[in-house]
Amino acid sequence: MIRAKRPALAVSLLALAALAGPAMAETTVDFTVAEYSSKTGPFFEEVAAAFEAENPDIKINIEVVPWDTLLQRLTTDIAGGTAPDISIIGTRWLLDFAEQGIAEPVDDYLTPEFKDTFIDTFMAPSVIDGKIMGLPVAASARAMIVNQDLFEKAGATPPENWDQLYEAAQKISALPDTYAFGLQGKEIETDAYFYYALWTFGGDILTADGMSGLDSPEAIEAATFYKKMLDEGLTQPSPTNYSREDVFNLFKQGTLGMIFTFPMLIPQLQAEAPDMNYKVLPFPEKAAKATYGVTDTLMLFADSDVKDEAWKFIEFAYGDEWRSKFDHGEGFLPVTKNVAAEEYYTTDKDIAGFAAGLPYAKFAPTIANWEEIADTTVRALQQIYLGQATPEAALTEAAGTINQIRGK
Amino acid sequence: MTSFSGLRPLAMILPGLFLAMFIIGYPVVDLAYTSLQEVSRFGKLQGYAGFANFAEVFADPLFWSSLTRTAIWTVCVVGGTMLISLPIAIILNDDFYGRGLARVIIMLPWAISLTMTAVVWRWTLNGRSGLLNATLMDIGVLAEPIEWLAEAQLAFTVEILVGILVSIPFTTTIFLGGLSSLPQESYEASMVDGATRWDQFVHITLPLMKPFINIAIVLNVIYVFNSLPIIWVMTEGGPANGTDILVTYLYKLAFRFGQLGKAAAISLIMFGVLLVFTILYVTLVTRGDRQPQEVADE
Amino acid sequence: MQSKLVKSLVYWLLLSPLMVVILFPFAVMFVTAVRPRDELFVFPPTWWFSEFRWENFAEMWVKTNFGQALFNSVYVSVLSTLLALVLSIPAAYALSRYRFPGKGAYRTFLLMTQMMSPIVLVLGLFRLMVALGMVNNLNSLVLTYAAFNMAFTIWMLQSYFNTIPRDLEEAAWIDGATHFASLRRIFLPLAVPAMAVTGIFSFINAWNEFVLALTMIRSSEDFTLPVQIYSQVAGRYQVEWHHVMAGTVLATVPVAIVFSWLQKYLIRGMALGAVK
Repeated sequence: MIRAKRPALAVSLLALAALAGPAMAETTVDFTVAEYSSKTGPFFEEVAAAFEAENPDIKINIEVVPWDTLLQRLTTDIAGGTAPDISIIGTRWLLDFAEQGIAEPVDDYLTPEFKDTFIDTFMAPSVIDGKIMGLPVAASARAMIVNQDLFEKAGATPPENWDQLYEAAQKISALPDTYAFGLQGKEIETDAYFYYALWTFGGDILTADGMSGLDSPEAIEAATFYKKMLDEGLTQPSPTNYSREDVFNLFKQGTLGMIFTFPMLIPQLQAEAPDMNYKVLPFPEKAAKATYGVTDTLMLFADSDVKDEAWKFIEFAYGDEWRSKFDHGEGFLPVTKNVAAEEYYTTDKDIAGFAAGLPYAKFAPTIANWEEIADTTVRALQQIYLGQATPEAALTEAAGTINQIRGK
Repeated sequence: MTSFSGLRPLAMILPGLFLAMFIIGYPVVDLAYTSLQEVSRFGKLQGYAGFANFAEVFADPLFWSSLTRTAIWTVCVVGGTMLISLPIAIILNDDFYGRGLARVIIMLPWAISLTMTAVVWRWTLNGRSGLLNATLMDIGVLAEPIEWLAEAQLAFTVEILVGILVSIPFTTTIFLGGLSSLPQESYEASMVDGATRWDQFVHITLPLMKPFINIAIVLNVIYVFNSLPIIWVMTEGGPANGTDILVTYLYKLAFRFGQLGKAAAISLIMFGVLLVFTILYVTLVTRGDRQPQEVADE
Repeated sequence: MQSKLVKSLVYWLLLSPLMVVILFPFAVMFVTAVRPRDELFVFPPTWWFSEFRWENFAEMWVKTNFGQALFNSVYVSVLSTLLALVLSIPAAYALSRYRFPGKGAYRTFLLMTQMMSPIVLVLGLFRLMVALGMVNNLNSLVLTYAAFNMAFTIWMLQSYFNTIPRDLEEAAWIDGATHFASLRRIFLPLAVPAMAVTGIFSFINAWNEFVLALTMIRSSEDFTLPVQIYSQVAGRYQVEWHHVMAGTVLATVPVAIVFSWLQKYLIRGMALGAVK
């Protein structure tokens, strides 16, 4: 009898364990979230809570990381074997992750209906070697903002192409204490400020055969144009001492006629320069229409043990109401068709101004060593702005370095 | 007491020795190992690479320009610091009204973290809204604002000056310590001989201060050689890498571009340079230290 | 007396250019910290501003999570200083009072570690902390700061200990005190000032350290003050300079006060210890 009792006990324990199963066998999905603003963390916590209410067996563990340390953080976590299951990443890093086998292709998870909710333009940058390596999670596009008061005062019309921009710039810079065009020359996104011109002049970061496009005639022409504006006093002096933030500050002071910027500047402008009469316009054209589309990607880690659960959460988080709340809260452009169809995105003149460029948006190419390539580009631009090298010499050298970095 | 040789003193130094070996020794070994490996973007070692990382470093023009600039940076900052600190220390060592206050003011930069000093200067030097331009324009030195950090040469000069400024307190403290330990008798004797103050300085102060000056030079060389915050905060090595020194270049390579193998190689090269200084330092210290040590051991 | 007055005037005149340069950033800090936000970017730049906005400090405190960073800095500086002292005191005592095999080698080792700078080893240290799972953990800073400060603290303490006459301890022995009791009753009280000065050096080094903190600490709630303030400046969409400067003032003033109060001890410390 004593013997018989033991298995019985074991069985009942097992049964107990089975009963308690859902609670004990709870799966945890670790989700690293990039902090766009102070709203980001609370938003994703809310999504997670709603998801957990529907799926009590899955726990979503949100970790919010500031942008400037995100890549470092993921790098360490991967090296240390403590990588999360899903993470928001900058799309420009995606190739590095894909090449090292860290990102999981999501084609098998992605149902045709789910895939159809995305705007194709934003899906494209996540496709590497024909495989979808992640989902677009946030998007913004760039545009030109002009100070209409200054244009009126100078009797100029906001430009549609670069020739008009040059003419308007001459008129505006004739005003006292005013510069026509803000030119960024140091630190983060100095290269982007040049790509705007590069693209609209008809060039590209990489040519069709994968070589650097910096030494193309279009690139040299674009850089020469910037340099000419600088030399003729149409930009603020010494751009190499102006970071993105410094240029925007000049604009807020009402000292600049035109700048190239992102949608996140709008709320700042409204708060700090409430009287300014500004307008959002597409980038000036020459050979092409272009804007810089920036997307961030939601990536699934190949080493994750809970991919199915993670995917379930991803599908949940892409529900229309959540996407809408996220895009509105952060000031992003929608990546899904249903949100893009909302009235707000077609009627608000500021947002519409930024969204207008989406059909022809260009993206930073998904290539390895992007940060180093960007740094090389910035170096060349600074040499040009400082007059240490001609646009042709600086860009040709940079293109050579970039091709070398890319192993071409 | 010295007869208590053996285990007791060893037990006393061991815990500290262990921590130092672990925290300082291990990274050295790890760096040496890493520098001979091919390293992935995510820090995974991917096999022996021989001296490929070193070859890559030596083939990199940015390494050589950073190296040259490191030499300029170190020599200028340390040299400038020495030239300014010695007279200051001599003044501060003398008795005058308000000496306490003067000492406090001269020591102030030491109390602020280098990072914060650099942040404040970055703002002070802002071309259009910075208060340095405001002041210089108010007193009529400048007609137009200067963009202090826009060009590498000017930016680097400014950074060197800030470097000197923050090195003065530590150096002055060493010198003051030295001056206060000089024997007064020599001065009194020379006064009797009718020596001028300059004679005193050249024939008494300088020779007696020599060990302190040596140490101040070597310590400063090491601190300045390794100093990241000033340049990092003010210009990040830019524009066009024109203010990059080895540490800023190393930091970019390692933590921005993910070139860990190459960064490890540069670390080792810097380690080698420092080692040369160390040997210099040890020689200086054992020479300067011998006499008082003998006395103390008596 | 007359001549002292003249001398003082001359000295102050000689020192004044440097003092202006030293005090200039402090003035900038203060004037920026109390400015209304919309008077930061004015052209032409000016020292003048319309009102003292002390609220900037309160706003900054909340917005930049200053209290947390302050706590982190205090935590790291205090613990690393204590750790360095606890390990250095016996080592310095051994160096000062005993002869033992390997003493010379140990001295050389200490000198070598004094030469090592965190920045050169930052990559290796980083990998070490990854291996220990201590990245993004304030204790990683406690350990590294203590390790890097130890060479300095041992050398300084040892030089101080050399100045404490050993006869006192020996006399206590003869009176029948145990070794430990003589240490505790005679030696340690005499060594307290030395420990205090050494501790301050170590504390200030930790308080001001930037590179390691920037590398090891990732989440903003664990930032120390220098990193927190740097993060308000670097790569932001918008830099709130008045908040940055308010933070700098708050981070600086307490240390500056303590420092100026202690500076004569530091100079004495240099005369005795640091130099050797």
